[in-house]
This record gives sequence, C-alpha cells and structure tokens, in this order.
Amino acid sequence: MKTEFEHCIRCTLCVENCPVFRVDKDYPGPKQAGPDAVRFRAGNEAPVDEWVHKCAQCKRCDVACPYGVNPSELIQAAQVRYSEEHGKGLAATLFAGNYYLGLLGSLFAPVANAVTKNKGMKKLFRMLGISTYMTFPRFHFRTLSRSWRWKGDVKRKRKVVFFHGCYLDNNAPDLGRSMTGLLADLGIRVKVPRQVCCGVPALANGDLKQAKGFAAKNGSILAGYIDRGYDVIYSCTSCGNALTQEYPGVLDAPEGKKISENTYDIHEYILMLMEAGEINPDFAPLNKRVAYHIPCHLRSMGIGYPAAKLLRMIPGLTLHIHDDNCCGLSGSYGFKTKFEDNATQLGRIAGEAILERDPDLLISDCGACRMQLKHFTKLSTMDPTELLRLSLSNRP
Amino acid sequence: MKTENYDTVIVGGGISGLMAAIDLTRKGKRVAVVSKGDPVCCLSTGCIDILKGVDSPMESICDLPENHPYHLVGTGGIDRAAGLFLSVMEEAGLSYVGNTAQNRYILSPGGTRKQTALVPESMAHGDMEENETLNVITFKGMKDFFPGYVTAKFKNAEVYEFDPGIGSTLGIATKFDDPVFREAFVSWFKSQGISGGKIAMPAVLGTKPRVFGELARELDRKIFEIPTLPPSIPGLRMFKALKTCLQDSGVDLYWGRAVKSVEKDDDAIEAVTLAGMGRSTRIEGRSFILATGSFVSGGLYARQDGVVKESVFDLPAHVPGNRESWFGHNFFETGHGIEKAGIRVNKWFQPEDTGIPNLFVCGSILAFSETMKYGCGHGMAIATGVAAAEKCEEYLA
Ligand SMILES: Cc1cc2nc3c(=O)[nH]c(=O)nc-3n(C[C@H](O)[C@H](O)[C@H](O)COP(=O)(O)OP(=O)(O)OC[C@H]3O[C@@H](n4cnc5c(N)ncnc54)[C@H](O)[C@@H]3O)c2cc1C
Repeated sequence: MKTEFEHCIRCTLCVENCPVFRVDKDYPGPKQAGPDAVRFRAGNEAPVDEWVHKCAQCKRCDVACPYGVNPSELIQAAQVRYSEEHGKGLAATLFAGNYYLGLLGSLFAPVANAVTKNKGMKKLFRMLGISTYMTFPRFHFRTLSRSWRWKGDVKRKRKVVFFHGCYLDNNAPDLGRSMTGLLADLGIRVKVPRQVCCGVPALANGDLKQAKGFAAKNGSILAGYIDRGYDVIYSCTSCGNALTQEYPGVLDAPEGKKISENTYDIHEYILMLMEAGEINPDFAPLNKRVAYHIPCHLRSMGIGYPAAKLLRMIPGLTLHIHDDNCCGLSGSYGFKTKFEDNATQLGRIAGEAILERDPDLLISDCGACRMQLKHFTKLSTMDPTELLRLSLSNRP
Repeated sequence: MKTENYDTVIVGGGISGLMAAIDLTRKGKRVAVVSKGDPVCCLSTGCIDILKGVDSPMESICDLPENHPYHLVGTGGIDRAAGLFLSVMEEAGLSYVGNTAQNRYILSPGGTRKQTALVPESMAHGDMEENETLNVITFKGMKDFFPGYVTAKFKNAEVYEFDPGIGSTLGIATKFDDPVFREAFVSWFKSQGISGGKIAMPAVLGTKPRVFGELARELDRKIFEIPTLPPSIPGLRMFKALKTCLQDSGVDLYWGRAVKSVEKDDDAIEAVTLAGMGRSTRIEGRSFILATGSFVSGGLYARQDGVVKESVFDLPAHVPGNRESWFGHNFFETGHGIEKAGIRVNKWFQPEDTGIPNLFVCGSILAFSETMKYGCGHGMAIATGVAAAEKCEEYLA
C-alpha cells in the first residue's frame, strides 16, 4: 500500500479546490474522503460510504497538494472497491461501457439520434438513472475510424498515430478529420490506428477490470507503432491523461512507461516542432476575445497549457484562461441523475465566470466541457485546433 | 524531451514568486512560474502583515536585527512592492485599505484584535473597541467559525443565525456569489430588526471580489468579515487575483509538479526539469528565481540529524545551531530557533557562497526572516519578491 497519504498535514488546500465540495453539502471533501478516510479503509476494512462516488475525479486536489498526497487516487481506489462490493448500478454500468454504446450509436446513428431526442425516451432515461438536462451528443455513421485514409506523404520526417478516443470518433468525426488535416498541413504523416476506448469512462464508473482491458489492448497497439518510429498524438485531454498518467500508473498497461513518454498533446507537439525549427506556421490575425476553459485533465497532467501558447501567437486575439472551475459534466458524471444537481450547479458557476469576461467565443480541448458550457453560456464553442486552422487558412 | 525558453523561470507560486513574476512581466520579460502545489497565502487572512508589535512598520524596520532580509529591500523598496500589490488587487476589484506607515487592527476569529498593515476592504470595519456594540451573524451548520469566542470579548454583542443550506466555508461563500441567494439573505437580515452597531460575519461573503461591495450596499450597514480557520476565502480571493493578473499578461504557469532536476552550465543554471509520469517537461531560462517558501511548503526540509536542506537547487542553508536549540519550550511562543533557518543571500538576492550568477532568492525561504516572530509574513514575501525581480532585471539587461 502507498503511504503518501501520511504526508497530509490537513492544510485544506485540496478542500479549497474541490468543485463538488463547493456545492454538495453531503460530500466531506477530498481531505476527509481521501487521506483521512484511507486510514479506516486499510487492510480489509471495506469503504462503507456511498459518497465516495460523489467525487468527479477532476484531480484538482492532486494539483493543489504541495505534499504529493494525491487525494483523487485514494478516492478512486475507494470508488473501485465500493463498486466491486456493492455493485455499480445500471447507469454506471452503461457509462463504463461507453465504448460499446458509441459503437452501437454510430452504427445505428439515425435511430440513436432519434431515440436520444425523443421526449418519451427521456422519461425512460431518467428511470434508468440517466440525466436529461442536456441533449446527448449526436452520433455519426461516418466515424473517424470508418472513414480513414492516410494523410501526408510517406517520405515525411515525422510520423504520428492519432488517438482520437470515443468522442471524436463517434460524435465529432468532422472535428477529428480537421485535426488530422491540421497535422498533415504542417508536414506530418498521420495515421489513425485501430484503437479502443482509453479506459477513463470505465475507471470513472468503478470498473477497474474493464478499464485495464482497454488499456492492455491500446497499450500493445500503440507500443507497436512507437517501436516503428511513430509518436502518439491525442487531442482529448482525458484520453491524454489516461495515456500519459494512468497507463504507467493505475491501469498498468503493457509498455505503459513507453507510451507515456512518446505521447503528446496535439498543441504540445506542434510547439515542439516549431521550437526544433522544423515548421514555421504563419498565423494570420483573428480579432476575437476568446475564453479558454481548461479541462481538468489538461490541468492535472502538469504540462502547462500548450494550446494557449500557440493561440497567443495569433495577432489580434485576446485570450482569457479559465482554469479555476470544473465544468461539472466531468465525462459521464453529470449524465447520472444522482449527480445532476452538482453538475448543473457547477456548470452555472463555470459559465458565469466565463460570461463575466464578455468573450466572443468559448474554446476548450474537451468535447464534454464544450457541450456543458455551451449549454450554460449559450456561447458558440470551438476546439483550439479549429481556431489555429482558421488563422492559418486566413493567410492569403 | 521538450524545451521551453524564458527570460526568467520562477520556482514557487506563492505570493513572493507571483509578485516577482508580475514585476518582471510588467517590464516586458517572458516569464514562467513553476509550482508544486498551492501556496500558503490561500490559507491566510488576506491581510498583509508588514511588521507587528509597533505603530509604524516603516519607522521600525531599522530596529530589526541587521541580518533581517527587510534591510536588503529598504523602506523605499517595501513601499514600491506594496504599491504594486495594491494596484494589482485594485485592478481585480479587490480593494484594500491601510498603508505601510501605520498599522491597523482587524477582529480575529478568537475575538482578539489582530495587528496588520494592508487590509481587504471587507475587514476594514473590524477595528473594534471593546465597548462598541457588535452584531455577529453566524451560519447554521458552519463548522469553522465559533461566534462564542468573539462575543465573549464584547460587552454588547448579539448573535443571529442564518441557514444557508450548506455548512462549509467554501459552500456558503459560493452561495453568496449568487444574486438570488443574496436577495434572500438581505430580506432575512432586514426582518431581524438588528439595532445599532456594526455587523460582523465570518469571511464567507462571496468567492468573487465584488460580492462584498454589493452586499454592503444592499444591507446599508457597517458590515465586515472576520477571517476563519483554513480554508480561507479572503486568502483564496487574493491568490486568484494574482494568478489571473499573470495569466492575462501571458505568463505560463506550470502547476502541480515539483522541480525534479536542475541543469547547470559552468556556474549558471540553465534549465529545470519537472517531475511527472512520462516524458519530462524541461524549462530553460536565462535567469531563475527561487521562491519555494519555508518548511511548510517544502522549500526547506529538516533531517533528523540536524541538517537543513534546500529542495530544488540544493543550496547551502543556514542552520541555527544544533537540533536541540531549534525549538523553545512553549509551542505557542514565537522566536523558535528554527525560524531563522533558510537561504542567506547577498545584496543582489543571490545565494551566498554558491557563485551562481543567474539565481535570485525571495520570500519566506530567506534566512533570518523569522516571519512568525516579527509578524512580517506576506509583507516580507512581497517586498523581497519585487526586490529580487528588480535585481534579476538588472542581470538580464
Ligand atoms: C496558516 C497560515 C496563515 C498565515 N496568515 C498570514 C496572514 O494573514 N498575513 C500575513 O502577512 N502572513 C500570513 N502567514 C505567513 C505568510 O503566509 C507566508 O510567510 C508567506 O505567504 C510566504 O510566501 P512565500 O511566497 O514565500 O511562500 P509559500 O506561500 O510557501 O509558497 C511557496 C510555493 O512554492 C512551491 N514549491 C515548494 N517546493 C517546490 C518545488 N520543489 N518545486 C516547485 N514548487 C515548489 C509550493 O508548492 C508553494 O506554492 C500565514 C502563514 C500560515 C502558515
């Protein structure tokens, strides 16, 4: 058993950063749910507190802690154990297998889209424990993986495989194609490899075994490419957090360390090539006030905010960073009726902070954050790569 | 490995490092801040202590022992730094009262008068005399505030309780951000028929800067906040104001990772590398500022064998005698020997006896600062932060 929790001095910096603690009077906060409670969970004591599931795994507590305690990991272990001992419930079981839902949804896209929009179905969803304050993301038949061709010619120096994850594949394939297009335009050879879900939804819904299964599969595929000189690129920051932080950690993927070391955020990669002098993109002005909502899992990777650095190179663009609030949706968290109240309150808080700065446009790397914040701000939203492409294509 | 290149890399995101970053940024330098975790100022009252136990901090700086870091800054430098701090707060909508020439008082959660210099507007009316009438508003289920401590110290004190629907400091403060909740609170307040005297509340009046001003207007009474045990909302407001100021000026923050290794070229520091699971992030700079705080933040650590280590650059640290002499017999007395521990610097804020030309040190990690004894926590951190940044600018020029 890890003993980092013994380093906790009860300073409450984690508590100050916990979004759920802000709005939920029945959640004791990361200090009590993590290092304090872990003492009572040692050995064969079972976690008896259902509230462990209230933690949305935003990992803000880990980032705040100066002592390396990582409360979110302790809470996650308790969530997994609780689920194993008490069952997960229907909604969590469904969301853990989000990958299969996505496969089905995209194969039968017109039906799936009609179902998720149907008023009568909404009642059924709520009975199943699925919240309906927002419409579900649309499914597309022409997914990224089903419509794939190579991009960029063979002789290019940099070869990458693109880890799109579930959201880009099933729900935003055009955006995915635009991202691979951006990389190809910058002179990088891009391939979309066979892949499964990164494992985050399963882990977040208490199914460690399923998450490890996904990680094992992706791990061996990606390691094979890395051995042949490819780098791995992600855009979804929760997939990124899984690949770089959890594959060598809790998900224990084959060659996890190798994957972690050779996997890059798409903006981080572009910056690296610019700094190495291999590319020199010429950004045209965009006169916009842009609010950039930082996804919690970008924050927790500790790589800074690479997209912000690129966007600041665009003349005329004013960028406001919003990294103090979790959007509240937190992947599938807000889609469960149990947490709907927390999710909507947090969405409103994050949305208000954004609107206070009067932006023209809201960007975020995470599809779920964009969906939630669009709902609460009514602003138009974009992925940071779309702004980059806009600026690059504006050049006469 | 990926490399970033900056004019100055600041290690440690406390009030000292952040003020240094603001000063450098305003002079057009490209700056990055690296911080392992959140700083102590998030737990503080948000008041800036400059020097306690005296009427005028500025007139008494000269009486401090000659090795106190304040002497390296000088009163002019302290004033410049305080001015910069106040202007940043003002821009964020977080007004302060007070100045460096005259100490003032706020009401502490223990009901005592706490001496300090620069005070958030929300605590300005906390300068209470014993015989004044005080109305304390407390919140149902709130665990981190005990009105009894306060009322015991006043002859005319009345307590009123409001039910906010949540018991945590952070939860109540979040509720106060919401205008609908504020309206309900104001109408409850007006129904209580609270007679004359000031109105005190625990410091939960909004997580955002402007909430207090709006509430004060709506209630139309002399209201003030009493700081609470951590988590501390006023500390959080101050930290967020500093951070937003930096992010708006394009400073890159690397948060949540400690510096793992340091690269040198001859004597000069060339780059730091951050700890992480996978590929390391390497951050290159022409100059570096060390602001990792004292023992509580991990800038310094003490070993059982009586050695004190500096955790990033392994600089030689001043140790005040052997381990037996580190602690006095009474826990609550100040002036424990160990408070003197830290990094000794020359008048350019460079670490002594190292010959490193491009490293500057500021904040509570400095030797002989004794922040508890002299009550100079944030004041010393701000003053040395800006002063070290000024020396760093001279070096870069
Ligand atoms: C509970 C409490 C309340 C206080 N209240 C007040 C008050 O009301 N008024 C007042 O004037 N003073 C107060 N003080 C004192 C004051 O807060 C401190 O003296 C001052 O804020 C110190 O600031 P600093 O920037 O030097 O260091 P810190 O705030 O300690 O910041 C250091 C930063 O460096 C980071 N760090 C450490 N090691 C590494 C590493 N290896 N790599 C990267 N980053 C690292 C830490 O995570 C931290 O964020 C209080 C102190 C405490 C403990």
